Amino acid sequence: MELTLRVITPESVALDTTASSVRIPALDGQMGILPRHASMVAALEAGVLTWTEQGASRAMFVSGGFAEVRDNTVRVVSEAGERPEDIDTERAQRAAERARERLRKAHGGDHDVDVLRAELALRRAIMRERVASGLAPGLRAAMGAGRS
Amino acid sequence: MAGSIRELRRRFKSVGNIKQITRAMEMVATTKLRRFQDRAVASRPYAREIQGLVGRLAAVLGDDLADRPLFRDGEGTGTAVLVVTSDRGLCGAYNSNILRKLDAWRRARMEEDGPVHFFCIGRKGFQYLTKRGTEVHSFFDEPSLEHMDYRSAANVARALTAFFLEGGCREVRIFYTAFESMVKYVPEDRQLLPIRPDELLSGDEGQEAGGADVILEPDAGSIFDTVVPRYVETTVFNAMLESLTSEFASRRVSMKNATDAAGDMQKLLQSQYNRKRQETITKELLDIVGGAEALR
Repeated sequence: MELTLRVITPESVALDTTASSVRIPALDGQMGILPRHASMVAALEAGVLTWTEQGASRAMFVSGGFAEVRDNTVRVVSEAGERPEDIDTERAQRAAERARERLRKAHGGDHDVDVLRAELALRRAIMRERVASGLAPGLRAAMGAGRS
Repeated sequence: MAGSIRELRRRFKSVGNIKQITRAMEMVATTKLRRFQDRAVASRPYAREIQGLVGRLAAVLGDDLADRPLFRDGEGTGTAVLVVTSDRGLCGAYNSNILRKLDAWRRARMEEDGPVHFFCIGRKGFQYLTKRGTEVHSFFDEPSLEHMDYRSAANVARALTAFFLEGGCREVRIFYTAFESMVKYVPEDRQLLPIRPDELLSGDEGQEAGGADVILEPDAGSIFDTVVPRYVETTVFNAMLESLTSEFASRRVSMKNATDAAGDMQKLLQSQYNRKRQETITKELLDIVGGAEALR
């Protein structure tokens, strides 16, 4: 039995495939989903979505939003869904640098900096880099789950 | 009819040039119209998911809803208004329709309704307001209207939400043009904030959430608070896409009308020209025949 996995973004349906297991970046940490999972709605944070498709592990960057599991279908609804090959690594690096700079300023006592926003931006940038470089967290674990 | 043959020929040519330009503009508008229609279609699944979830969670939360900040009247006074118009003219009555709707709404306001804070997308609306001495709080001109994507729409939505939450106004409205069909675009006035719960609970979405065995991670309230801002963003994005689609549909129609009118005018000028030419030839013939007669 397989799961249907769909990633829905404002500009398109970024992914529509089947997977034997899915791992989502839920607010409280990574969460694994196997077929016959109970109906669930989970809020997501910016992070890496991984899934096992025909024995191979794949990853995609998602920028938060939520995931809904129902009837063996996982629908990830997020502002962005980017495959490793779509990610502009240099841009992500620059974004990370900017965010770090803002955080350093905040640390130095600059109250104009929106710390939360900078932290979120940094997180997005780091996650994008990870997806692009194939170093997604839990990739191996997801593969293991797929085999069982 | 006044005008020499040469004059007529010149006018015929210049009408032809204008016809070429309007036809080119019509074709450009057609292409862009198609592109925005495609994007509007592509954005629908996302909007549907967000709206569905917000509606279902709203049903779960029930009466707690009224306590959430985006569902209460803002602390400030007056109304923030987002006006969506086009950047450029030559699109028929598109801009004047939406601005007329805006003016009618403003005239109907009472003194105690408080001030109006204007936010603009599209240069025409901005110019219309500033020319009449109305202060515009924010004009979103970066990126240009045609290059607006979800992110820029989300930025606009965030700016409005922040203004609302920081006590800038009591409510936020959005004036845009709804795209009903290729020939029908309706100016709309919609309340963006505070969100009215009744608009969320449309259809049978409410019942589905009744299946109480859905796991909510971490809990209904937290998910709701992360999704509601997305809901506001999709509303703005959708209003923008509909407006842009209407704009190009309207521009296409008005350019088509202009091309047709130029064609009609050319026909008229052509027949005038032909008649004039025939007249001259007849006159010249008479002169020659008359001269020949006189020599006999």
